[in-house]
Amino acid sequence: MDLLENIKEATKEIFETMIMLDITAGDPLAESVTSFKCSVSGVIGLAGTCQGMLAIHTPDSVAKAITSSFLGMDVEEIDDDVTDAIGELANMLAGNIKMVLDAAGKDVTISIPSCIHGDEYSMDCVADSEWVVVPFSIEAGKFLVELQIKNGCQ
Amino acid sequence: MNIDLQQQIIDSTQLLFDTMLMMPLTPGIALSEKVYNFQSSISGMLGFAGEVQGMLTIHCPQDVAFAITSALIGIDIDEVDADVKDTVGEMANMILGGIKDGFTEQGVEINLAVPTILAGRSYRVSGMDDALWITVPFYLDEGEFLVELKLKAPK
Repeated sequence: MDLLENIKEATKEIFETMIMLDITAGDPLAESVTSFKCSVSGVIGLAGTCQGMLAIHTPDSVAKAITSSFLGMDVEEIDDDVTDAIGELANMLAGNIKMVLDAAGKDVTISIPSCIHGDEYSMDCVADSEWVVVPFSIEAGKFLVELQIKNGCQ
Repeated sequence: MNIDLQQQIIDSTQLLFDTMLMMPLTPGIALSEKVYNFQSSISGMLGFAGEVQGMLTIHCPQDVAFAITSALIGIDIDEVDADVKDTVGEMANMILGGIKDGFTEQGVEINLAVPTILAGRSYRVSGMDDALWITVPFYLDEGEFLVELKLKAPK
Protein backbone atom coordinates (compact mmCIF):
# COMPACT_ATOMS: atom_id res chain seq x y z
CA MET A 1 0.00 0.00 0.00
CA ASP A 2 1.13 3.53 -0.59
CA LEU A 3 1.90 4.98 2.83
CA LEU A 4 3.13 8.25 1.37
CA GLU A 5 -0.09 8.94 -0.50
CA ASN A 6 -2.13 7.96 2.56
CA ILE A 7 -0.24 10.34 4.82
CA LYS A 8 -0.63 13.19 2.36
CA GLU A 9 -4.35 12.62 1.99
CA ALA A 10 -5.00 12.15 5.70
CA THR A 11 -3.03 15.24 6.68
CA LYS A 12 -4.63 17.42 4.02
CA GLU A 13 -8.09 16.27 4.95
CA ILE A 14 -7.57 17.01 8.64
CA PHE A 15 -6.11 20.44 7.95
CA GLU A 16 -8.85 21.37 5.52
CA THR A 17 -11.79 20.10 7.56
CA MET A 18 -10.72 20.40 11.20
CA ILE A 19 -7.92 22.91 11.48
CA MET A 20 -8.97 25.19 8.63
CA LEU A 21 -5.51 26.04 7.34
CA ASP A 22 -4.22 25.83 3.77
CA ILE A 23 -1.58 23.18 3.48
CA THR A 24 0.89 21.97 0.85
CA ALA A 25 2.60 18.59 0.93
CA GLY A 26 6.28 18.41 -0.03
CA ASP A 27 8.38 15.52 -1.32
CA PRO A 28 9.14 12.78 1.20
CA LEU A 29 12.51 13.11 2.89
CA ALA A 30 15.35 10.86 1.79
CA GLU A 31 16.72 10.76 5.33
CA SER A 32 14.80 10.49 8.54
CA VAL A 33 14.99 13.45 10.94
CA THR A 34 15.61 12.56 14.56
CA SER A 35 16.81 15.81 16.20
CA PHE A 36 14.49 18.66 17.02
CA LYS A 37 15.00 22.14 18.47
CA CYS A 38 12.31 24.24 20.15
CA SER A 39 9.67 21.89 18.83
CA VAL A 40 6.55 20.01 19.80
CA SER A 41 6.12 16.37 18.76
CA GLY A 42 2.95 14.32 19.03
CA VAL A 43 3.43 10.55 18.94
CA ILE A 44 1.07 7.60 18.99
CA GLY A 45 1.62 3.86 18.68
CA LEU A 46 -0.02 1.42 16.27
CA ALA A 47 -0.56 -2.13 17.51
CA GLY A 48 -2.32 -5.25 16.30
CA THR A 49 -1.46 -7.21 13.17
CA CYS A 50 0.55 -4.23 12.04
CA GLN A 51 2.83 -2.40 14.48
CA GLY A 52 4.35 1.00 14.25
CA MET A 53 4.14 4.60 15.28
CA LEU A 54 2.97 7.87 13.88
CA ALA A 55 4.54 11.18 14.86
CA ILE A 56 4.11 14.80 13.94
CA HIS A 57 6.99 17.20 14.54
CA THR A 58 6.27 20.94 14.59
CA PRO A 59 8.54 23.87 15.42
CA ASP A 60 7.10 25.87 18.35
CA SER A 61 5.82 28.67 16.09
CA VAL A 62 4.00 26.25 13.80
CA ALA A 63 2.52 24.38 16.77
CA LYS A 64 1.15 27.67 18.09
CA ALA A 65 -0.35 28.60 14.71
CA ILE A 66 -2.02 25.19 14.35
CA THR A 67 -3.43 25.35 17.88
CA SER A 68 -4.61 28.89 17.39
CA SER A 69 -6.54 27.96 14.26
CA PHE A 70 -7.79 24.67 15.71
CA LEU A 71 -9.12 26.22 18.92
CA GLY A 72 -9.98 29.63 17.50
CA MET A 73 -8.00 31.58 20.07
CA ASP A 74 -4.68 33.33 20.43
CA VAL A 75 -1.83 31.20 21.68
CA GLU A 76 1.15 32.93 23.26
CA GLU A 77 3.23 30.09 24.58
CA ILE A 78 3.56 26.32 24.47
CA ASP A 79 1.01 25.38 27.10
CA ASP A 80 -1.31 22.43 27.66
CA ASP A 81 -3.62 23.64 24.88
CA VAL A 82 -0.78 23.36 22.38
CA THR A 83 0.50 19.98 23.53
CA ASP A 84 -3.07 18.64 23.65
CA ALA A 85 -3.75 19.95 20.13
CA ILE A 86 -0.62 18.38 18.66
CA GLY A 87 -1.36 15.11 20.48
CA GLU A 88 -4.91 15.19 19.12
CA LEU A 89 -3.59 15.86 15.63
CA ALA A 90 -1.40 12.74 15.91
CA ASN A 91 -4.46 10.85 17.15
CA MET A 92 -6.59 11.95 14.19
CA LEU A 93 -3.85 11.12 11.69
CA ALA A 94 -3.29 7.69 13.24
CA GLY A 95 -7.05 7.06 13.19
CA ASN A 96 -7.08 7.82 9.50
CA ILE A 97 -4.08 5.58 8.78
CA LYS A 98 -5.71 2.83 10.86
CA MET A 99 -8.76 2.93 8.60
CA VAL A 100 -6.55 2.64 5.52
CA LEU A 101 -4.66 -0.32 7.00
CA ASP A 102 -7.84 -2.02 8.16
CA ALA A 103 -9.32 -1.60 4.69
CA ALA A 104 -6.22 -3.37 3.37
CA GLY A 105 -6.99 -6.36 5.58
CA LYS A 106 -4.98 -5.45 8.70
CA ASP A 107 -6.41 -5.24 12.17
CA VAL A 108 -4.83 -2.19 13.78
CA THR A 109 -5.55 -0.57 17.11
CA ILE A 110 -4.06 2.75 18.15
CA SER A 111 -2.68 3.65 21.56
CA ILE A 112 -3.08 7.03 23.19
CA PRO A 113 -1.15 10.10 22.02
CA SER A 114 1.71 11.60 23.98
CA CYS A 115 3.31 14.93 23.39
CA ILE A 116 6.95 15.92 23.71
CA HIS A 117 8.13 19.48 23.98
CA GLY A 118 11.66 20.69 24.43
CA ASP A 119 14.46 23.02 23.45
CA GLU A 120 16.57 20.18 22.17
CA TYR A 121 15.66 16.52 21.94
CA SER A 122 15.94 13.52 19.68
CA MET A 123 13.34 10.92 18.82
CA ASP A 124 14.28 7.56 17.33
CA CYS A 125 12.26 4.53 16.46
CA VAL A 126 14.35 1.47 17.21
CA ALA A 127 12.28 -1.14 15.45
CA ASP A 128 13.34 -2.51 12.09
CA SER A 129 10.76 -0.63 10.12
CA GLU A 130 9.72 0.95 6.90
CA TRP A 131 9.40 4.69 7.37
CA VAL A 132 8.04 7.67 5.52
CA VAL A 133 8.61 11.29 6.53
CA VAL A 134 6.63 13.92 4.69
CA PRO A 135 7.15 17.68 5.07
CA PHE A 136 4.12 19.94 4.93
CA SER A 137 3.97 23.71 4.64
CA ILE A 138 1.41 26.05 6.11
CA GLU A 139 1.66 29.82 6.21
CA ALA A 140 3.38 29.75 9.62
CA GLY A 141 6.10 27.36 8.46
CA LYS A 142 6.91 23.72 7.90
CA PHE A 143 6.25 20.59 9.89
CA LEU A 144 6.85 16.85 9.46
CA VAL A 145 4.61 13.82 9.60
CA GLU A 146 6.43 10.55 10.21
CA LEU A 147 5.02 7.04 9.89
CA GLN A 148 6.95 3.93 10.87
CA ILE A 149 5.55 0.50 10.09
CA LYS A 150 7.43 -2.52 11.36
CA ASN A 151 8.86 -4.68 8.60
CA GLY A 152 6.87 -7.74 7.79
CA CYS A 153 3.54 -5.99 8.24
CA GLN A 154 2.92 -5.12 4.65
CA MET B 1 -10.18 -4.61 35.64
CA ASN B 2 -8.78 -5.62 38.96
CA ILE B 3 -5.02 -5.71 38.53
CA ASP B 4 -2.40 -4.38 40.92
CA LEU B 5 -0.56 -2.26 38.36
CA GLN B 6 2.18 -1.15 40.70
CA GLN B 7 3.00 -4.77 41.51
CA GLN B 8 2.95 -5.66 37.81
CA ILE B 9 5.48 -2.90 37.09
CA ILE B 10 7.71 -3.96 39.98
CA ASP B 11 7.59 -7.68 39.17
CA SER B 12 8.31 -7.19 35.49
CA THR B 13 11.14 -4.67 36.03
CA GLN B 14 12.69 -6.74 38.80
CA LEU B 15 12.66 -9.84 36.61
CA LEU B 16 14.44 -7.99 33.82
CA PHE B 17 17.19 -6.75 36.15
CA ASP B 18 17.59 -10.12 37.88
CA THR B 19 17.75 -12.25 34.77
CA MET B 20 19.08 -10.09 31.93
CA LEU B 21 21.05 -7.27 33.47
CA MET B 22 22.24 -8.92 36.68
CA MET B 23 22.12 -5.62 38.53
CA PRO B 24 20.83 -5.21 42.07
CA LEU B 25 17.66 -3.14 41.91
CA THR B 26 15.48 -1.66 44.62
CA PRO B 27 11.91 -0.63 43.79
CA GLY B 28 10.53 2.47 45.48
CA ILE B 29 7.02 3.56 46.35
CA ALA B 30 4.78 4.79 43.53
CA LEU B 31 4.99 8.58 43.16
CA SER B 32 2.00 10.60 44.23
CA GLU B 33 2.64 13.29 41.59
CA LYS B 34 3.05 13.07 37.86
CA VAL B 35 6.50 13.85 36.47
CA TYR B 36 6.56 15.75 33.17
CA ASN B 37 9.99 17.34 32.83
CA PHE B 38 13.27 15.56 32.23
CA GLN B 39 16.84 16.86 32.01
CA SER B 40 19.76 15.06 30.33
CA SER B 41 17.69 11.93 30.16
CA ILE B 42 16.63 9.14 27.85
CA SER B 43 13.04 7.95 27.73
CA GLY B 44 11.79 4.79 26.06
CA MET B 45 8.09 4.99 25.16
CA LEU B 46 6.00 2.06 24.06
CA GLY B 47 2.31 2.28 23.25
CA PHE B 48 -0.21 -0.52 23.58
CA ALA B 49 -3.80 -1.05 22.58
CA GLY B 50 -6.50 -3.69 22.88
CA GLU B 51 -8.89 -4.11 25.77
CA VAL B 52 -7.04 -1.27 27.48
CA GLN B 53 -4.98 1.37 25.73
CA GLY B 54 -1.99 3.23 27.00
CA MET B 55 1.72 3.80 27.13
CA LEU B 56 4.64 2.48 29.11
CA THR B 57 7.57 4.87 29.46
CA ILE B 58 10.95 4.41 31.11
CA HIS B 59 12.70 7.62 32.07
CA CYS B 60 16.44 7.22 32.74
CA PRO B 61 18.93 9.95 33.59
CA GLN B 62 21.87 9.61 31.18
CA ASP B 63 24.25 8.16 33.74
CA VAL B 64 21.75 5.48 34.68
CA ALA B 65 21.12 4.62 31.02
CA PHE B 66 24.90 4.37 30.47
CA ALA B 67 25.29 2.01 33.45
CA ILE B 68 22.44 -0.23 32.30
CA THR B 69 23.77 -0.34 28.74
CA SER B 70 27.28 -1.16 29.99
CA ALA B 71 25.86 -3.98 32.10
CA LEU B 72 23.96 -5.36 29.12
CA ILE B 73 26.62 -5.23 26.42
CA GLY B 74 29.75 -5.29 28.56
CA ILE B 75 31.53 -2.16 27.34
CA ASP B 76 31.92 1.30 28.85
CA ILE B 77 29.52 3.92 27.56
CA ASP B 78 29.92 7.67 27.86
CA GLU B 79 27.62 9.13 25.24
CA VAL B 80 24.05 8.71 24.05
CA ASP B 81 24.67 6.44 21.08
CA ALA B 82 22.65 3.82 19.24
CA ASP B 83 23.55 1.16 21.85
CA VAL B 84 22.05 3.24 24.64
CA LYS B 85 18.91 3.99 22.65
CA ASP B 86 18.49 0.33 21.66
CA THR B 87 18.93 -0.73 25.27
CA VAL B 88 16.35 1.68 26.65
CA GLY B 89 13.92 0.73 23.86
CA GLU B 90 14.46 -2.95 24.52
CA MET B 91 13.90 -2.40 28.25
CA ALA B 92 10.54 -0.84 27.43
CA ASN B 93 9.73 -3.85 25.25
CA MET B 94 10.68 -6.35 27.93
CA ILE B 95 9.04 -4.59 30.87
CA LEU B 96 5.80 -4.07 28.96
CA GLY B 97 6.06 -7.65 27.66
CA GLY B 98 6.08 -8.86 31.27
CA ILE B 99 3.13 -6.64 32.14
CA LYS B 100 1.27 -7.92 29.08
CA ASP B 101 1.74 -11.48 30.36
CA GLY B 102 0.34 -10.40 33.73
CA PHE B 103 -2.66 -8.83 31.97
CA THR B 104 -3.22 -11.99 29.93
CA GLU B 105 -3.36 -14.04 33.14
CA GLN B 106 -6.15 -11.73 34.26
CA GLY B 107 -7.98 -12.14 30.96
CA VAL B 108 -7.06 -8.70 29.59
CA GLU B 109 -5.52 -8.77 26.11
CA ILE B 110 -3.24 -6.02 24.85
CA ASN B 111 -1.02 -5.61 21.79
CA LEU B 112 2.25 -3.68 21.77
CA ALA B 113 3.36 -0.99 19.30
CA VAL B 114 7.06 -0.29 18.62
CA PRO B 115 9.31 1.62 21.01
CA THR B 116 10.24 5.26 20.46
CA ILE B 117 13.29 6.72 22.18
CA LEU B 118 13.52 10.30 23.35
CA ALA B 119 16.77 11.84 24.44
CA GLY B 120 17.79 15.38 25.19
CA ARG B 121 19.08 18.07 27.47
CA SER B 122 15.60 19.16 28.47
CA TYR B 123 12.20 17.94 27.37
CA ARG B 124 8.66 17.60 28.61
CA VAL B 125 6.40 14.61 28.03
CA SER B 126 2.67 15.18 28.42
CA GLY B 127 -0.66 13.80 27.34
CA MET B 128 -3.16 11.36 28.76
CA ASP B 129 -3.76 13.44 31.86
CA ASP B 130 -7.16 11.80 32.24
CA ALA B 131 -5.67 8.30 32.11
CA LEU B 132 -4.82 6.11 35.07
CA TRP B 133 -1.20 7.01 35.75
CA ILE B 134 1.29 5.04 37.86
CA THR B 135 4.95 5.96 38.20
CA VAL B 136 7.32 3.70 40.13
CA PRO B 137 10.89 4.79 40.92
CA PHE B 138 13.68 2.21 40.96
CA TYR B 139 17.09 2.63 42.52
CA LEU B 140 20.45 1.39 41.24
CA ASP B 141 23.92 2.22 42.59
CA GLU B 142 24.22 4.77 39.75
CA GLY B 143 20.94 6.54 40.48
CA GLU B 144 17.22 6.38 40.04
CA PHE B 145 14.98 5.77 37.05
CA LEU B 146 11.22 5.80 36.59
CA VAL B 147 8.85 3.32 35.03
CA GLU B 148 5.55 4.96 34.17
CA LEU B 149 2.36 3.22 33.06
CA LYS B 150 -0.57 5.22 31.72
CA LEU B 151 -3.71 3.46 30.64
CA LYS B 152 -7.39 3.78 30.03
CA ALA B 153 -10.24 1.63 28.83
CA PRO B 154 -11.07 2.19 25.16
CA LYS B 155 -13.84 4.55 24.17
